Amino acid sequence: MLEFRAITRAYELGGERAGVFGVSLTVPKGCLAVLAGPSGSGKTTLLQLAGLLDTPDEGEVRLAGELVSSLPEKARCDLRLRRLGFVFQAFNLVPVLSALENVMLPLQLQGRPEAEARERAEAALARVGLADRRHHHPGQLSGGQQQRTAIARALAPEPLLVLADEPTASLDHAHGGPLLDLMAELAQERGATFLVASHDPSVIARAHTVFRLLDGKLVEVG
Amino acid sequence: MILARLALRNLLRQQRRTALTLMVVVAGFLALSLAGGFMAQTFQGLSDAAIRGGLGHLQVMPPGALEGDEAQSLEKALPEGEALAQRLRQDPAVAEVLPRTQFMGLLSNGPRSVAFLGTAVDPVLEPKYMACAEALQNGALTKGGVGSHWLSGDPAAREVILGTGLARALDASVGSSLTLMSTTREGALNAVDVEVAGLQDLGLRELNDRFLTVSLGTADQLLDSAQARSRLSVMLKRPQDTAMEQARLQGLLPGTSVKPWFELASFYRQVKLLYFAIFGFMGLVLFLVVLLATANTLLMSVMERVREFGVLRAMGLQPRQLLVLLQWEGAFLGFLGSALGLLATLLLRAGLNALHVQMPAPPGSSHGYELFIHFVPWVYLLVALGLQLTIQVSALFPGLKAARLRIVEALRHV
Repeated sequence: MLEFRAITRAYELGGERAGVFGVSLTVPKGCLAVLAGPSGSGKTTLLQLAGLLDTPDEGEVRLAGELVSSLPEKARCDLRLRRLGFVFQAFNLVPVLSALENVMLPLQLQGRPEAEARERAEAALARVGLADRRHHHPGQLSGGQQQRTAIARALAPEPLLVLADEPTASLDHAHGGPLLDLMAELAQERGATFLVASHDPSVIARAHTVFRLLDGKLVEVG
Repeated sequence: MILARLALRNLLRQQRRTALTLMVVVAGFLALSLAGGFMAQTFQGLSDAAIRGGLGHLQVMPPGALEGDEAQSLEKALPEGEALAQRLRQDPAVAEVLPRTQFMGLLSNGPRSVAFLGTAVDPVLEPKYMACAEALQNGALTKGGVGSHWLSGDPAAREVILGTGLARALDASVGSSLTLMSTTREGALNAVDVEVAGLQDLGLRELNDRFLTVSLGTADQLLDSAQARSRLSVMLKRPQDTAMEQARLQGLLPGTSVKPWFELASFYRQVKLLYFAIFGFMGLVLFLVVLLATANTLLMSVMERVREFGVLRAMGLQPRQLLVLLQWEGAFLGFLGSALGLLATLLLRAGLNALHVQMPAPPGSSHGYELFIHFVPWVYLLVALGLQLTIQVSALFPGLKAARLRIVEALRHV
């Protein structure tokens, strides 16, 4: 599904060289994979490269066998819109839109008719247990509800790959656990691949595959 | 449409800032549209004054009549002017033809003589189409003007209407007997005794000091003019067709020169140019204020939504779509601002017109006028389009700034 080949992406952070260096790994289809490691180990950098938000200095990123790391910006935008989903640590819902409208947003950006977008968004919200909260705005939802909305938004367009950066970091344990269970269920149920960056042991415990990083290098696959 | 919805919601999110920006747009619209209404009143007044002041919609004159001076009376005239006027009256586009004779000479009360500029008109037709009454009414209020009346329609009557300054110079009043002296078409000196029928205040001191009006019959006797006329003032049934009728009548009347009133009214043209310069500059300043205000609003909006833009870009929004999003926000500001501005304009216009505000006399004029702001839809449309364009331009910089954000940095933005 997702393949990194000898990826290097370096940058300066506080006067020191940081990033990822010569990382190669493959994420199989339909699994919940976790990039684990302490802060500064390169988890987010790899996630951004996988999400085509950044370009590597060296190496290749392949998605479903296609070389995507050297695509022009327009094609990268199109790929992000149609084949990738994002879940952020800070939820990052659009504050002026309701939960339903947030989930409809990527579908409408794809150019789908409003009725179809609404139907699919309502189904996605129902799947994450938020059917009765669909008309609430982000400010009226709890952290867990916002993150579930973000997952619904990421999944509604039926992407190949969902990228989640510390999805439980802003949630307490009581909300984080069920959210991870939901992601694992969805991965299995829809055949979508989840790549999660996290150093949370409860996330790692639920993962099908764990890639451990340290100082920008892959040190263990389990 | 999703971008439009997002833009509208963002404007509603920052209600106070949006309201302040809208106020600037409304103020700009109000100032420019009221100025446009005032200009329309001024131009209408000036064109009426020119047309009803004697020019008519079109003037038929001999070729070269506007070049150089006449060495003697009716040297530059239409020799068969009366016959030509009769022929023109048959034209379906023509409402009336008013023949005029222009001449100069001396006006004497016996001991004293003063040079004058005279116009001879048809005493019956002239009051129907030209603004004779107002000048007479104003003249009647001046010293010696009591009892002023228009020229008699009796062909045998020998009457004159004097400018107030001319009457003052000769110590003449209504009923005074004076002598008009000029040269005939053949160059012989001639004189006619006339009685003062009235005084006229033409609004300009220079005209009041020199100008007099007599009937064509009186001028014919003085100048021995027979059928000759200096000009034919043509009143059209459809004034809006003036340019088209000028071309058509010019084709029908070879050997003459047919001029529209706006080519002859140099004062009208000069005032129009002056107003366009003044209000054009004012418009430029207002558009600049609107540009800066909306650019500031949209830029602040961009700076507050950096992370949101990062998320939208991560979701696959193209950079140009962010530019479009900001353009939509600008479009809503422009549309709403113009709609509110139009409403404010119509209300204020109605209020100002109801107050019957008296304006001071313009330079060179001897009396003021009542303010009336005209309803000018094309000005409102032009102002709305100008404001919309200005706001779209002002949205470019914030839009480009948003479009150039690096996604990974935008997502880290706090």
